[in-house]
Amino acid sequence: MIFLRKALSQGKRERQVVEDMKRHIRLLCTACSSFKSALEQNNRRLMHDVIDLEREGDAVRREIISKVHDGAFLPYIRPDLCKFVEVVDGVFDILEDTALFYLDVKLPEEMQDECVRVALLNQRICEMLLLTFEAMLKGEDLSEKTLAVRIYEKKVDDIKFDMFRDIRKTPINNFWEGKILADFLSGLTTISDIIEDASDYVQIINVAMK
Amino acid sequence: MKLREFVTTRIESIDGDKSVYEAIEKMVDRRIRSLVVVFPGDETDNGVITARDIVFKALAKGVDLKKTKASDIASRPLFCVDKNTELDGMARSMQEADVARIFVCDGKKIIGVVSLMDLMTATLVRRARGNDLS
Amino acid sequence: MWKVISGVSMGWSLGANDSANIFGTGVATGTVQYRTAILLTAAFVLAGSLLEGPKCMTTLNELSRLAPMSAFCCTLATAVTMITLTYLAIPASASQGIIGAIVGASIIWGTPDFSKLLWIVLCWVLTPVGGIIVAYCLHRLLDYTLARTIRGMTYRNMLYSVGIITTGSYAAYALGCNNVANVTGVYVGAGVLSSGTASLIGGLSIASGVLTYSEKVMMTVGKNIAPLDPFSALVCTLATGCTLHIFTQVGVPVSSSQAVVGAVVGVGFVGGMRTVSGRMLAKIGIGWVLTPVSTGLLSFILIRGIT
Repeated sequence: MIFLRKALSQGKRERQVVEDMKRHIRLLCTACSSFKSALEQNNRRLMHDVIDLEREGDAVRREIISKVHDGAFLPYIRPDLCKFVEVVDGVFDILEDTALFYLDVKLPEEMQDECVRVALLNQRICEMLLLTFEAMLKGEDLSEKTLAVRIYEKKVDDIKFDMFRDIRKTPINNFWEGKILADFLSGLTTISDIIEDASDYVQIINVAMK
Repeated sequence: MKLREFVTTRIESIDGDKSVYEAIEKMVDRRIRSLVVVFPGDETDNGVITARDIVFKALAKGVDLKKTKASDIASRPLFCVDKNTELDGMARSMQEADVARIFVCDGKKIIGVVSLMDLMTATLVRRARGNDLS
Repeated sequence: MWKVISGVSMGWSLGANDSANIFGTGVATGTVQYRTAILLTAAFVLAGSLLEGPKCMTTLNELSRLAPMSAFCCTLATAVTMITLTYLAIPASASQGIIGAIVGASIIWGTPDFSKLLWIVLCWVLTPVGGIIVAYCLHRLLDYTLARTIRGMTYRNMLYSVGIITTGSYAAYALGCNNVANVTGVYVGAGVLSSGTASLIGGLSIASGVLTYSEKVMMTVGKNIAPLDPFSALVCTLATGCTLHIFTQVGVPVSSSQAVVGAVVGVGFVGGMRTVSGRMLAKIGIGWVLTPVSTGLLSFILIRGIT
C-alpha cells in the first residue's frame, strides 16, 4: 500500500528533493560568482560557463519537479515548492540572457565598476538565499535573513537608478547597440528582484509547514 | 576592500571655489548627503561638505548661498580609514571623530565612503550570514 | 433475526455519511488516498465496535426496554428519518435519531426513564462544546511541544503524513466505539442479540457503508470544511476522536458531525478566528430538536400501525 511505502521510506524522497533544491541554489551562486568574475576580468570564456551552468540548473529543476510530483511531500505544499524552484530557474534564465548580451556588447569603461558592483551584490544576495533556505530547513527564524536579502536588493536598486541616468550620456552608434546595452543593464539589475521574490517564497513555505 | 558591497564607491566632489548653492544643487540632483571639497592647488588635503554643514553653517545663519563658497563651510580634514579596516574599526573611528560618514582610502586616494546607515545595514547582514562577511 | 435488517441498513447509512468526518479533509486535499482512508476507517470502526461498543449500549437499554418488533421499528424510523433529512440537507445525527425513536416507542408502552433522557440531552449539548475545548487545548499543547522538538521541513512533513493517518485511525476507532450502539444497541435490550454479536453486526454494517458508499460524501464534506493547514486538520481529527472516546467512557452515543464542528471551531479560536456563525448554531439547534422529534413520531406511528 502506498501509505506503508511512504511510512517505511522515512522521508527519503523528501530529503532527496531538499538536497536537489540546495544543489539548485548552490549552482545559482556559482553562476553569479562566475558572472562577476567574468565581468571583472573581461573573460568571455568564463561568461560562456554561466550559460553552461544555466543548462545544468535546468536539468536539476526537472529532477526536482519530477520527484515532487512523484509523491514527495504532502500535496498542499507541492505547488509552493514547485513555484519556488521555477522562480530560481527564472533567475538562471535572466543570468544566461544577461551573459549573452554581455558577449554581444562593448561595455563602456565608465560603467565597468558599477556593473561589477551589481554583479557582486547579485552574488551576495544569492548566497543569502541559500542561507535562508538552509535556515528554513532547520526550522530557524528567517526574519534576519530575509531582511538581509531586502537590504541587498535595495542597494542594487540605488545603483540601478544612477546607472540608467548615466547611461544616457554614453554615445551609441546604432539602435541595436543601444538596445543590447540597455537589455544587459536591465537584466543585470533585475536578478536581485527575482531572488528577493524567491526568498519570499521560502518564507511562504516556512509558514505553510508550521 | 572589506565590506566592499557596503562602501559607496561613487564619490562626488566639488571645487572649493564653487558656491554653496551649486553644492546644494549637486547633492539634491544626485540624492547624496556629502560632497568631497577639492581645494584648488592642494589636492591632497580635501575637505567634505555635508547636508549638516549646509543646514547649520549656511541656512541657519542666513548667509547668501550664491556668494558663500563651499570651501568656507567645508569640514577639514577628511576622516579616512584604510580599505582593510573591519566594521567595528570603522564604527569606532566614526565615534571618535563624531562624524556621520567616513571615507575609505587606499593610501592617499579616496576610494569610497561609508555612512552610519551603511554600517547598520552591514551589521544586519553580518548577523544574517553568521558573522562572516567574506 | 430478520428484524436486525433495519439496524444493518442504518449502520450502512451511518458508515457512508460519518466516515467523511474522519478522513474527509485528508482525502479531499489529497493527503490520504481514498482507498487507504476507507480501508483504515472500516478496519478501525470494526475494532472499536468489538472492543468498546457495548459501553454505550447499556445507556440505550436503560432508557427503555423494548420488544423485538419495537426495536425493529425504532431502527427503521431512524433510518428513514436520517435518509430524508440528509436529502433535505438538514444535519441529522444517528445518535439523536435513535434516542428519539426509543422515547417514541417507550411512550406507547409507558416505560420511558426521563432522568436518563436528561443526561443524554446534556451530553448532546456538551459534544460540540467538548470538541471546542479538546481541540483548543490539544492545538496549544501540540503546537508548543512540536515547535521545540520537531523542526525542519522534512520532519514536519513526515509528522503530518503519519499523523493524519494515525489520528484518522483513532477517530475511526472512537466512532466505532461510540456509534455502534445507535445501530444495534436496541436489539440487545430487546433480547434479539447479545452485546458481542450486536457489536459485530453493527461494526460490519458501518464498515460496509464506509467501503461502498462514502466517496461522494467524503469529497463534498471534505471540500466544504474550512480550509485547514495539515497541523490543524490533524488536531481536529484527534480532538474528534478524543471527544467521541470520552463520551464512550461516559456511556452515551453522540454525534461525530457535531464533534467535528466543535473541533474546527476550537482550532479556529486558537488563531483568533471567529468561526462560529449564528447560522451554524441554528442548524445544529434545529437538528437537536427536529431529528429526535421526527424519529420519535415515526417510531410511534410504525409501532401503533403494526400492533
